[in-house]
Amino acid sequence: MKQVVVHPERCVGCMQCQVACAVAHSEAKQLVPAQFESPRPRPRIHVGAGPYNEGFPNRCRHCDPAPCLLACLPGAITRVAETATVMINVDTCINCASCAMACPFGVIRYHEDRSAQAGKTVAVKCDNCLARQREDGIPACVEACLSAALTFETLDAAYKRQTDAVARSVSAVAAAEALAPGWALLNAHKKARLELLTSPAPSDEKRAAGNAREDTHVRHD
Amino acid sequence: MYDTIKDKTLPQDGQLLLKKAEADGVETVWARHQAQQPQCGYCEMGASCRICIMGPCRVDPFGQGPQQGVCGADADIIVARNLGRMIAAGAASHSDHGRDLVEVLAGVADGTALGYTIRDEDKLRRLAAEYGVAVDGREALAIAGDLADAMQEDYGTRKKGLALLARAPEARRALWQKLGITPRGIDRETSEMMHRTHMGVDNDWQSILLHALRNALSDGWGGSMIATEVSDILYGTPTPRPTAVNAGVLKKDQVNIIVHGHNPVVSEMILQACLSDEMTALAQAKGAAGINLAGVCCTGNELLMRHGVPMAGNHLMTELILSTGAVDMMIVDYQCIMPSLGTVASCYHTKMVSTSDKARFPHMDHHEFHPDNAAEKAREVVREAVENYLRRGEVYIPVEPVDSLGGFSVEAVVGALGGTPEPLLEAIKAGKIRGAVGIVGCNNPKIKQDYGHVTLTRRLIENDILVVDTGCVAVANAKAGFKLADAIAMAGPGLKEICGALGVPPVLHFGSCVDNVRILVLLSALADALGCDISDLPVAGSAPEWYSEKAAAIGCYFVASGVYTVLGPMPPVTGSMNIVKLLTEGLEDVVGATFAVEPDPEKAALLIRRRIEDKRRALGLPAASV
Amino acid sequence: MQYVIIGNGIAGVNAAEAIRRMDPNGRIVMIGDEAFPPYCRPMISMVLEGSVPLAKLPIRQASFYDDCKIEPILGNRVTELDVDAGRVDVNGKHVAYDKLLIASGADPRPIRAEGLELGNIVYMRTEAHVRRMLDALDGGARRALVLGGGLVGFKAAYGLMCRGLAVTMLIRSGYPLSMQVDAFAGGMILDTLTAHGLDVRVDIAAEVFEGKDTVEAARLSDGSRLDCDLVVIGKGVLPALDFVPRDRIEVDLGLVVDPFLQTSAPNVFAAGDAAESIDVARQARWVNAIWPEAAAQGKVAGINMAGRTVPYERSLSRNVIRIFDLDVMTAGVVDPQVITGAEVITRFDPATRHYRQLVFQEDRLVGMTLVNAIEQGGVLMALIQNRIPVAGRRERLLAPGFNYRALA
Repeated sequence: MKQVVVHPERCVGCMQCQVACAVAHSEAKQLVPAQFESPRPRPRIHVGAGPYNEGFPNRCRHCDPAPCLLACLPGAITRVAETATVMINVDTCINCASCAMACPFGVIRYHEDRSAQAGKTVAVKCDNCLARQREDGIPACVEACLSAALTFETLDAAYKRQTDAVARSVSAVAAAEALAPGWALLNAHKKARLELLTSPAPSDEKRAAGNAREDTHVRHD
Repeated sequence: MYDTIKDKTLPQDGQLLLKKAEADGVETVWARHQAQQPQCGYCEMGASCRICIMGPCRVDPFGQGPQQGVCGADADIIVARNLGRMIAAGAASHSDHGRDLVEVLAGVADGTALGYTIRDEDKLRRLAAEYGVAVDGREALAIAGDLADAMQEDYGTRKKGLALLARAPEARRALWQKLGITPRGIDRETSEMMHRTHMGVDNDWQSILLHALRNALSDGWGGSMIATEVSDILYGTPTPRPTAVNAGVLKKDQVNIIVHGHNPVVSEMILQACLSDEMTALAQAKGAAGINLAGVCCTGNELLMRHGVPMAGNHLMTELILSTGAVDMMIVDYQCIMPSLGTVASCYHTKMVSTSDKARFPHMDHHEFHPDNAAEKAREVVREAVENYLRRGEVYIPVEPVDSLGGFSVEAVVGALGGTPEPLLEAIKAGKIRGAVGIVGCNNPKIKQDYGHVTLTRRLIENDILVVDTGCVAVANAKAGFKLADAIAMAGPGLKEICGALGVPPVLHFGSCVDNVRILVLLSALADALGCDISDLPVAGSAPEWYSEKAAAIGCYFVASGVYTVLGPMPPVTGSMNIVKLLTEGLEDVVGATFAVEPDPEKAALLIRRRIEDKRRALGLPAASV
Repeated sequence: MQYVIIGNGIAGVNAAEAIRRMDPNGRIVMIGDEAFPPYCRPMISMVLEGSVPLAKLPIRQASFYDDCKIEPILGNRVTELDVDAGRVDVNGKHVAYDKLLIASGADPRPIRAEGLELGNIVYMRTEAHVRRMLDALDGGARRALVLGGGLVGFKAAYGLMCRGLAVTMLIRSGYPLSMQVDAFAGGMILDTLTAHGLDVRVDIAAEVFEGKDTVEAARLSDGSRLDCDLVVIGKGVLPALDFVPRDRIEVDLGLVVDPFLQTSAPNVFAAGDAAESIDVARQARWVNAIWPEAAAQGKVAGINMAGRTVPYERSLSRNVIRIFDLDVMTAGVVDPQVITGAEVITRFDPATRHYRQLVFQEDRLVGMTLVNAIEQGGVLMALIQNRIPVAGRRERLLAPGFNYRALA
């Protein structure tokens, strides 16, 4: 069974997966008409920002056991064993956000969805694109990702690749083969920039800060 | 990712006003920057292409996905085309600004530009001579008309090279000729860049980048230089004069008007209106003590240089200054005016006025200024500003202004030196001054506001390097107190001695961002005096917090003119390591200078000091190791 | 093996299911006070507000006891526990156990006042209570008095407001949910409730209820008289442990349990609202009488009773509440003064009305109060529950889009 595997170090932050996910869950399944649908389709995958604003694709891990499933008050969250997918039944969901409190990855959102009764706010998260998979498709986020930060493969294959990578990293020669020098350069630059933002200004820059007016209270504490 | 307000902005007025703005629920540039994270890596690397609609395309940096666009362009070609278009846009912006000034000059000559006049006739005559316009025995207005025509020809393509290239050292001109990058026409080079980067034209990345240098030179030695020189003719060549800076220049008891943008065509007329007895009387009738005109951004720098009009802030202060609640009107012309400003102003009583037919903004009233109606329009909007004073709510001006000295044109510098650059050269030869650096450019929310500027400047002057600054840097450094009479205390011993003797601060305010050309003119004079090329001088340029396409063009004309230039933020080029190598190494053998990218100003200072000492050594001057 | 489970709430139900999975043949006796099929107790407030029908309360089929081969004894409470003999008494009968789980839950804390016997004065704890409240609404109740601003009182007030009643709430602290949220968040909640018409009175108690058959008015401690035709008492809960021999089993507020949910008596386990375990944020014994705790503890207790040793060391007070346009999520330490060395950081964005208070002790996050933008609150909760050291700048956790990557 294939599953979506996330490789955050290859995420370029282009957010194409978000767009593809929203479109895949729209009525029209096409970008242009999808944006005029009501409710407006929304992504189930969210590209967050890492410490130096690098991309970080965050999607449901379909945990087993799943904390959201255990926390669900009305029993709306279930596991489909054959596809290793944790699903939310929008008809049973009562929008209590107990799953938001339980999900350690913060991947569940609350909004109207075309799968639910009109006007009803429900918990929404990744469904592994089961509808696409049934028609021999792959999850939309994976299809959209050109930098292979999202792959659709068996866990065995993913583990093997990871094991190979660890093995290579033991070899100094292999480790020196940078994955992508331009990408590494950009990220090193962004890291350096971030450190500058958060590093305290040198003490002799106090003068640079200027003189607060003595008769003016800083009211906004 | 910002954790606190202190990560966003260094100056105290910035921090206090940002706190106020956030408490007022104003969405600022920093919040929008955060909301954009992560920013698209393909675009950050320059590896995405939207030029044609077989695309859009992108190249996978990891080599697994596509390596060519639909047309077959690889990463090198895509990055080069994108960078070329970026420089074309920057050159177009400066040069179009220059064109507007030439039109005013033409209007003065034919009497249609009411309210404008020739303020520096000497400069008019000198410049006319450079353009080959007959000057002897002729009336100023007649000369002005011919000069405006000649300059307009520089924009077209009827010549082999731009007139003002003659100001560059001979060796430099010969090098440009040899490389085939002598700019032929200001508009032509930009237009040709757009042509070359169309699908299926120039697909040699090196050739595209060489043309990018030519395009940038058409800005530095063309459009921008015309902008500065014609501004001096029309509004006066700057001379040193005291001024004040930071948000504290706003006055609680006066009508505060802020001018924002770049072109002095509008702001000069606003200043005249503010100074008129009629408007002052009106302000007093409304209960205000008077009218206080202040600037932000480069239109403010233009007024500061020529009239000592105070500066309320640079690029990242433009939203914050509105949160004082003390701005009765902000009048904008063009460039670097965030489209958010109208929305910010709507949280306060501030009236926003746009003035240019080419620059309109949401939530602003449009009062279109043209040379023939500018004086009258200026009175109209200033009257509105005065009336708006009555609608003011609570006012928060949390800082005291810092005094500063501005107005260093090349003429003023040479004047301060006693009419010749010789004393400066002697100080450099003796090693009292190790060299000179132009720190220029913008603010960018990717760098803590002003931290790059102020830190780099401090490190350079304390190591006896003279700093000249323009644009947003000039404001940051003035706020930091580098332009106070006692600022030499922060300079190294040699620089302190020389500046002390001349009575100038160790950091010289050279004007707005088009005024970067003043640096080119000064460097040419120094190179000629030493009998060398600009690339032989112990000098450098830096843009520690640049953000705009204009800054990309400036950086390129600095490097193409032989000035080693250190950028803070990374330009969108890392998609092609070939181009990274060319820009940071290969150009040394082509134009005698390269770019470096270093976001940390402490490290940038070391790079620059090393470069300066190397150049000193090559000139046979005493050199130190850094 | 004979298992006896006291209580058919979520702790008891989860324990029974865990036991049955591991021991298909053991005998399971379940003694429950309530005869209604196992249901979701937190949802009764949603039944009251009308967002969930009564029929949706059950979380198991009516056939649950048969399906799990459980012998139910319903409608009665245990009267005695003899730990030496290994038996409990219910309805006059002895029931022997090899392993006993006390998941008897909690009862509403009673109040002292005159006239409590009048009709339409109810607690809000059980499905039966909420049915009585719905009956009162059907009977035309228009004006409600809610005693207490804790979770129960607050949810009762909110539910009745949703039903269109005029509601007065008497609270002791200056704002509702004072045990769950900090003063700032409490102020936001109070403002929202009062903006929607709630009448809140601070530091006032009801002393006398008046009426013929049903309540018609209350006399308050400030001497005033308040007309009301429905009174809800929500002054918290106490573990239901009347039958427990305190000389033989260690009882504090609840039954003191070890990490395996075993009490001080051999073969006697406890879970849910009746149990007192180590709270992960406070690092002290605490009764966390909340649904997800009961669910988790019941499951772990069942596994331990069936013979596999599994510790449970994640007990944590927490809640998520949605009222009108406010979403509130809290966990762990809310009042920094209850622990030593607490450091507090907060952020309020007036434009979006997002609020966060985070409480740290040394390098651990030990408490959070979020108002709005709660979608990623579970990430913070996981940091608290797993006691993950937070390196780097803590302010990052105040951003609504926070993710683990940002901690690196």
